[in-house]
Amino acid sequence: MNANENQIYHDSAIKHVSGKSVYINDMNAPSDMLHGKVVYSPYAHAKILSFNLEKALQVKGVHGILSYKDIPGANQMGPVFHDEPCLAENIVNFIGQAVFLIAAESKEIAAKAEKLIEIEYEPLIPITTIEEAIANNQLLSVPRIINRGNANDAMQKAKHVLKGILKTGAQEHWYLETQTSLCIPDEMNEMMVYSSTQNPNETQAIVAEVLGIPRNEVIVEIRRMGGAFGGKETQGNHTAAWAALLANYTKRPVKIHLFRDDDQVMTGKRHRFISDYEIGFDDEGMITAYKVNLNADAGATADLSMAILERAVLHADGSYFIPDISVIGKAWKTNLPSNTAFRGFGGPQGIAVIENAIDRMARFLKKDATEIRFRNFYGITDRNTTHYEEEVENNRLFTIFEQIIQSSDYHKRKKEIAEFNSKNEFYKKGMALTPVKFGISFTTAFLNQAGALVNIYQDGTVLVNHGGTEMGQGLHTKMQQIAALELGISHEYIKVNATNTSKVPNASATAASSGSDMNGMAVKNAIDIIKLRLIEIAIDEFNKKKHPNPSNAEDIVFHNNFIFDKLHPDRILPFKELVMMAYLQQKSLSSTGYYKTPNIHYNRDTGKGHPFHYYGFGMAVSEIQVDVLTGNHKILRTDILHDTGKSINEAIDIGQVEGGFIQGVGWCTTEDIKWDTNGKLLNHSPDTYKIPTVQDIPADFRTTLLKDAPNYNTIRQSKAVGEPPLMLAFSVWLAIKDAISAVGNHEIEPDFSLPATNEVILKSIEKIKLSGK
Amino acid sequence: MKATSHHIRFILDNQWVELDFQQSENIRPSTTLLNYLRCLPSHKGVKEGCAEGDCGACTVVVAELNTNNELEYKALDSCLVFLPMIHGKQIITIENLEQHIGKEIQLHPVQQLMVENNGSQCGYCTPGIVMSLFALYKNHHKPEKEVIEDALTGNLCRCTGYKPIIEAAKHACIHQGKDHFSEKQQEIKQQLLNIKKDNTSILLYHSEQLYMLPQNLNDALKLKKQYPNAVLIAGATDTALRQTKKGEIIPQIIDLSQVEELKNIEITDKSVIIGSSLPLEKLKSGIEKSFPALFNILKVFGSLQIRNIATMGGNIGSASPIGDTLPFLFACKAVIKLQSFDTKRKIPIEDFIIGYRKTAIKTDELIVAIEIPFIPENVILKSYKVSNRKDLDISTVSVCFRLQLSNDKKVKEIIIVYGGMAVQTLRAKKTEAFLNGKTWNKQIVETAMEILYNEFTPISDARSDKEYRKLACRNLLMKFWDETK
Ligand SMILES: Cc1cc2nc3c(=O)[nH]c(=O)nc-3n(C[C@H](O)[C@H](O)[C@H](O)COP(=O)(O)OP(=O)(O)OC[C@H]3O[C@@H](n4cnc5c(N)ncnc54)[C@H](O)[C@@H]3O)c2cc1C
Ligand code: FES
Ligand code: FES
Repeated sequence: MNANENQIYHDSAIKHVSGKSVYINDMNAPSDMLHGKVVYSPYAHAKILSFNLEKALQVKGVHGILSYKDIPGANQMGPVFHDEPCLAENIVNFIGQAVFLIAAESKEIAAKAEKLIEIEYEPLIPITTIEEAIANNQLLSVPRIINRGNANDAMQKAKHVLKGILKTGAQEHWYLETQTSLCIPDEMNEMMVYSSTQNPNETQAIVAEVLGIPRNEVIVEIRRMGGAFGGKETQGNHTAAWAALLANYTKRPVKIHLFRDDDQVMTGKRHRFISDYEIGFDDEGMITAYKVNLNADAGATADLSMAILERAVLHADGSYFIPDISVIGKAWKTNLPSNTAFRGFGGPQGIAVIENAIDRMARFLKKDATEIRFRNFYGITDRNTTHYEEEVENNRLFTIFEQIIQSSDYHKRKKEIAEFNSKNEFYKKGMALTPVKFGISFTTAFLNQAGALVNIYQDGTVLVNHGGTEMGQGLHTKMQQIAALELGISHEYIKVNATNTSKVPNASATAASSGSDMNGMAVKNAIDIIKLRLIEIAIDEFNKKKHPNPSNAEDIVFHNNFIFDKLHPDRILPFKELVMMAYLQQKSLSSTGYYKTPNIHYNRDTGKGHPFHYYGFGMAVSEIQVDVLTGNHKILRTDILHDTGKSINEAIDIGQVEGGFIQGVGWCTTEDIKWDTNGKLLNHSPDTYKIPTVQDIPADFRTTLLKDAPNYNTIRQSKAVGEPPLMLAFSVWLAIKDAISAVGNHEIEPDFSLPATNEVILKSIEKIKLSGK
Repeated sequence: MKATSHHIRFILDNQWVELDFQQSENIRPSTTLLNYLRCLPSHKGVKEGCAEGDCGACTVVVAELNTNNELEYKALDSCLVFLPMIHGKQIITIENLEQHIGKEIQLHPVQQLMVENNGSQCGYCTPGIVMSLFALYKNHHKPEKEVIEDALTGNLCRCTGYKPIIEAAKHACIHQGKDHFSEKQQEIKQQLLNIKKDNTSILLYHSEQLYMLPQNLNDALKLKKQYPNAVLIAGATDTALRQTKKGEIIPQIIDLSQVEELKNIEITDKSVIIGSSLPLEKLKSGIEKSFPALFNILKVFGSLQIRNIATMGGNIGSASPIGDTLPFLFACKAVIKLQSFDTKRKIPIEDFIIGYRKTAIKTDELIVAIEIPFIPENVILKSYKVSNRKDLDISTVSVCFRLQLSNDKKVKEIIIVYGGMAVQTLRAKKTEAFLNGKTWNKQIVETAMEILYNEFTPISDARSDKEYRKLACRNLLMKFWDETK
């Protein structure tokens, strides 16, 4: 196929830049559409004693106000555990929990009605921190534990032991498009749901559940999301369920598009963690033992917390072989919105702890942390099994390390930085190299399946349906490319359809970075089936002429919009013509496709198995400068080298790497979330919640994809790329720590946590200065 | 007042629009430009990401006549713009950038380069980003990196990491602003001139609101006398949030954004006199040389979209403890010029700000101008802003220092003014008193820092805790010393 088939632009790029991309809030609203509003709890923990909707219902233009009593089906919208009420009944468990739903002719009318709702709460004491949750025994579910060897013994025998506690903060997704759903009631019970969701299949299930109807009455469709990052993996379901309830009640179309502040208040975030650890090592910095307790803030309900915790536990090793290790993960219930998936899905929280521990080891041993990292990397032929006994196959850590040390000029710059620091009192520079090794697959094994439906029409154009959703990551573009490559036709003839549960049923969420891997295989499978039919027709056609050596199926090639016999290139048919022939010969031009990731299993009880199909690898070197007097920092340079296998679309992959990295930088630096002691979110708008701007990216920002690195047993030898790069931001985080440490000549271990806001940085510096005095 | 008119006129893309709010149910005068556009059938490209000026998804470009009657293109956050503010201007939206040549659609260079550089992922921020790039394209030929970054600071993108967008900007701005708008420029200019000529003030009546858009100072003063409770707005970047975030409908508004007399900048031999309604971006380009301390603050004030409409009058009128121009104005001993229909008076800024969001203004008065005396050559003036994120963030702590040293390196005069440390902008008088007459050296400064540390009792809030504020406040004195030693 044309060499440039892997250079195509995002399939919506032209629509994006000309304002023609339609998001749900932009769809032509049916003329009788109503606006839905969610009335939520102002208390983090309270009993609902009574309520009265009479006055609010009198407002002109209000078409219905629903409480839990008006839910025809189950009052339930939890995705895994069924522990999350759709509307609060007698008790509210966080600020932002939905209590009533209003349908009105305008948002203003709905707001007016909201003020007239009478409700009496009896406030109870809320639990708003992990520490309180632990003290009050608010364990969400059985802990997730993985042990290898005997960490206690090994710790006792270790030459050196360091202990500590690391806090990592929450993170708001801050997708540009807030949660949105438009529901249109149809015949009888049918409901058409347009929902900004990463998981249309589950949205369908939950809408059916709250409406008390079977799933075949509900269709969920999503063309594109304005960003998601995990925030619409389960929580998109909520808005859809609320809009569906209102649409069902009023028998009119209802749209809910959350106001930014409401979205920030109501929805869950990346899980905060408090982790305590103990690390044992020798004089050379070889890790001999590691014990870590990962404590996650689950929020009020389970949502995906246990799966997220599991991924944190599975990634507690970072990129390092640790012979004796004990990892215990616990999720705790608090009176905050239920925390949820966010790019990395617990991985970042697990990895942060070991990276910080290694950083401490380096300071303790007076060595460069990079050297210690290198020394402890998983081996190629030995020291190459993880704590859950999966072999780290096709380990690219060493290849990447060698290349990036060179390309980033690491050693020379490290010296220059030391020199700069010795000459400057009020500015300090720091540098760090951090790796990522990230397991690809859903750790819940059965989720590793995908479906597709490929239709070829009589004019030779192709419509690809698959179960994945487009949130900006370029999934549809990659599917278009895969279809083009497999059918040997130009991508212009191929369109990828909006994701629709009536086209491809039972799909898993587009998550775990697995979208392209799994859906790509399913699309290929569908195309392979159609191709077999087309090949049969082509052979019949070619062999009509009774050649002495007739064409064989295995020699038929699809290329450049033609089908031909590679041994006899004169036997050739335009793709379009062949399609028409197939139609006239009454052959189906449509097929479903299916894929399940092979050999994925994991035993939660033993903590052993093969949960990942393969690993994604990458490394980053970042240099930063800290203003010692204010704690402000800036990123001077970042070099990234990331492994995306044989990239299907390099530009899209680089976009994922850079975008993921910057999102990680936000989490590690300025994105600070505070709740007050009443459980009230203080940073509920971009006024106080600060994601990176264009000014916050590295002044010198170099991203490269690892060359000549085909992956095995994946679609077109590619690798998943969505999540791993986020963790490369630890290079910035630890470079900041390195700069702080320079204030005390690297002799004092700085206080440190994540995010490293200017507040964290300055206080840490001040403490070092005091202890130096 | 002369005759008044009751509707506004503007050009949307290339179409004339006249709006009279008396009969309309769906829109009122203070409906934001964003909400108005999104109600139209064909303008859903513009997006709401926050409704508070912090994300830029709603960016549109306005073309307006400047004092030389030339067209100027500015990016604005349409979520903060009340409709009457666009009277007499052309609004250019994302839908209008491409050109239709026969059946072909030709993208604007900024759009084309966004495609070619993979500048969009989810695409939700993209229309706003493209509009910011379009304004950049019209105003800059081969812009420096800093100019590009400044043009994009007000546009958040959560997907891309910005790099491809910067690349797109670099490659797009090589055509000296030429495009299909250049061809129509004369025509648009003429149409806007026709509106400008008719400078009758506009009163917009609506069942819930009276919106007054005086076109000259005299009318503005008269209206304020007649409607003492009317809320004044200039850029509305502070006031609009009352509506967009809290749902408040302001019953009476006097909009000063079209009063030309309030947009002057006058330089005398003793001082600069800044019109209260002069947009900060204009001010910024006018004072780079004369007041670098103000320039540096304006560089990190909001975003370009905000500075294109926000004013100094509004910054003073808000009297917020974190108003970024206030420490500077205190240190410069600026004087506020107030005027009512019947009186004129001048009052030092320090006496004008009297509490948390409280000023000494009377109900019939306007701030007409701010007079800033030039700083003698031997006086050093420096300001600093500390915020969690460097750009487009509100100060955690801000400060302006004014220092005059005698020949023997003794402090002759020092003024230290902080924002963010108390309910209002405040001088660190104890620290000043300590330093006065002392030798300006590190040791003295270190002692002064301890006094400074205890001088204020700031609060903890969403931005920072009080301890950080105290530390930063204290350390900024050392920074100042370091840079002036
Ligand atoms: C996204 C965003 C970022 C911001 N960033 C910053 C920042 O970095 N630093 C900062 O200091 N502020 C910032 N602000 C706040 C605001 O932009 C500034 O205070 C600005 O100077 C207000 O000017 P304005 O003309 O828009 O005010 P308006 O909203 O028009 O007016 C503000 C107040 O002043 C009064 N007023 C206005 N003009 C007059 C007059 N002529 N006479 C008497 N009273 C008058 C009004 O009645 C009102 O009370 C930001 C705001 C937003 C939305
Ligand atoms: S909507 Fe965010 S700036 Fe206007
Ligand atoms: S492309 Fe998604 S926010 Fe910019």
